[in-house]
Amino acid sequence: MSLAADAFVSQISAAEPWPENATLYQPLKEDQILLSDCASSLAVQAYLRMCGLPVQVVCRANAEYMSPSGKIPFIHVGNQVVSELGPIVQFTKAKGHSLSDGLDDVQRAEMKAYMELVNNMLLTAELYIQWCDDATATEISRPRYSNPYSWPLSNILAYQKQWEVRRKMNAIGWGGKNLEQVYEDVSQCCQALSQRLGTQPYFFNKQPTELDALVFGHLFTILTTRLTSAELAERIKSNSNLLSFCRRIEQTYFEDKSS
Amino acid sequence: MGTVHARSLDPLPMQGPELGVHADDIEAPDIEQHPNQEILENKDVVVQKVHIDGLGRTKEDLLTYEIAEVFRAKNLIDVMRRSHEARQKLLRLGIFRKVEVVIDTSRGEDALPNGLDVTFEVIELRRMTGSYNTMVGNNEGSMVLGVKLPNVLGRAEKMTFQFSYGTKETSYGLSFFKPQPGHFERNITLNAYNVTGQFPWSSLRETDRGISGEFSFPLWKTSQTLKWEGVWRELGCLARTASFAVREESGHSLKSSLSHAMVIDTRNSSIIPKKGGLLKIHQELAGYTGGDASFLKEDFEIQLNKTLFWDSVLSASMWGGLLLPIGEKPTSIADRFYLGGPTSIRGFSMYSMGPQSEGDYLGGEAYWAGGLHLYTPLPFRPGKGGFGDLFRTHFFLNAGNLCNLNYGEGPRAHLKKLAECIRWSYGLGIVLRLGNIARLELNYCIPMGVQSGDRICDGFQFGAGIRFL
Repeated sequence: MSLAADAFVSQISAAEPWPENATLYQPLKEDQILLSDCASSLAVQAYLRMCGLPVQVVCRANAEYMSPSGKIPFIHVGNQVVSELGPIVQFTKAKGHSLSDGLDDVQRAEMKAYMELVNNMLLTAELYIQWCDDATATEISRPRYSNPYSWPLSNILAYQKQWEVRRKMNAIGWGGKNLEQVYEDVSQCCQALSQRLGTQPYFFNKQPTELDALVFGHLFTILTTRLTSAELAERIKSNSNLLSFCRRIEQTYFEDKSS
Repeated sequence: MGTVHARSLDPLPMQGPELGVHADDIEAPDIEQHPNQEILENKDVVVQKVHIDGLGRTKEDLLTYEIAEVFRAKNLIDVMRRSHEARQKLLRLGIFRKVEVVIDTSRGEDALPNGLDVTFEVIELRRMTGSYNTMVGNNEGSMVLGVKLPNVLGRAEKMTFQFSYGTKETSYGLSFFKPQPGHFERNITLNAYNVTGQFPWSSLRETDRGISGEFSFPLWKTSQTLKWEGVWRELGCLARTASFAVREESGHSLKSSLSHAMVIDTRNSSIIPKKGGLLKIHQELAGYTGGDASFLKEDFEIQLNKTLFWDSVLSASMWGGLLLPIGEKPTSIADRFYLGGPTSIRGFSMYSMGPQSEGDYLGGEAYWAGGLHLYTPLPFRPGKGGFGDLFRTHFFLNAGNLCNLNYGEGPRAHLKKLAECIRWSYGLGIVLRLGNIARLELNYCIPMGVQSGDRICDGFQFGAGIRFL
């Protein structure tokens, strides 16, 4: 997808208001979705809830292939299809919904830097643990990923995915890391986030931004997902302000809506 | 008694069974009866020996089946006739470039006074033959490389590899063919392939990776094929603008199906037949042997041809099909039927009728189509007896319908649905026969009964294909 086409999409979508029947697609919640996809999906859901934009979550076994970028999640709004948090933020902005308008340029740059940090560290660590840690890959990732498919397609697709992620890890230099180093990276990332958050309710004080949605999506999913080892969640739990941050967003944006 | 050369025939085209060797261009030879042969005709002879010269890697046991009949000949004409038949059988195996028959009197110590020796002088095909062509179509150019290994194990087995490298897609396939010695029509074929296709009318891109095995055999006047196929299908959108209905179909599926096909073909040519008929019934059951696609698919094709006055031919054809999903899952866009275009209902764009979403055609679960053609030679018959005979003028009337069936409604409602809103078209055009496998058409079409959403091609329409309504 070229930038020009992206710009065109956001241009034409600006004219239409947010419809009632907007839908978010993700893989099957019970049997299929993996930690990293679940985190990305939750981040988008949190962002849309913070914007006050209603969206219905639909689970599809082929969500990954339906997505225009091949990434989870994607939203279907009107006749537009947009995937991943970054483009979705752009898309809502074009429709007049933004969380970061109140920030000045320095804050915005800082927000982008922290979002990059989360994507580069937390998301990559999730992918590493899912597909490069043999125990997790064998016990959780491959069986869950291939759950909707019948043999032998299930094996082919799972190994294909694993190979693809491992190749990506090698390309970004994570291929040589061991599990302990990855946990250490996660710890450092969490410490950085914890320090930036301090005692504020949100990263940029009173108002939540897309950074809050992204951090919440990843941390909350890691805390609530059972893996072969609880080490990943433990690394987060050592930062108490991040835990209360997660609880705050959950209570404000998720529990109120459901009750 | 002199030597009689029976090489009145052109060799059969060296094509494999996948193209179907049609005997239409090869008429049975009339054995001319010269005055000096009439004396020999009544003379009883005994075929003492049959030699086959020029064999390299071909196993002899394969050929004994093909030439066994020659020994049963009782007189000279019989010998010639049976030798000729044996020659045709040998050529049909697709392993010889040339077969000549030499009939001579027996020589040697044990030669009988009325003994004959028949010698088949054969030249085998090369161990490996290659082909190279370029293809243009569907907004795509591609280069096709083919490698064929005829007679790879010495018993008329054939191995074929095809590789197509296109500007957009790359496809390849490997196939192995083995006939039963002595029964060429009874054969097995194994295939492995990876084929990618783009279907702009559905904004769909499909990659099929599959293996299949089929067994063909003649039964009474029919030719039967039993097949198992396992395909891993990957569907995707051609563009971001694809409709959401097509997007929803994206992803992987595994189809494992058993199918049966029955064909009775009495036509003299498959492309522009003058007489005879065709009945083809195909049924496919998917899901019982694994995979995640479950359906029962039935379709048929009937064609009848009759020569009228002045070399004109009246041809009537009828197609129909039904796709029944088994279980809860709806049918896949890759399994449904499509209709319309210059090879089916002329005057409509390629596969552009019936159920659609935002301009992308989704195909239907039931269809029928009928066609009535009157083929005549070109007006004033230019190039008669030569190039001009490849052309025909035709007048046509096509009709058909394609729809989805809601399976709660019962068969009567389905029939009613298929009879409603019939699309039809008429017109005239020129048909060009390309070899014995394809034809080109240029038609002036007038589409009628157009429903909203159908894409039409009013006026001139060009078509090329191998299967025509």
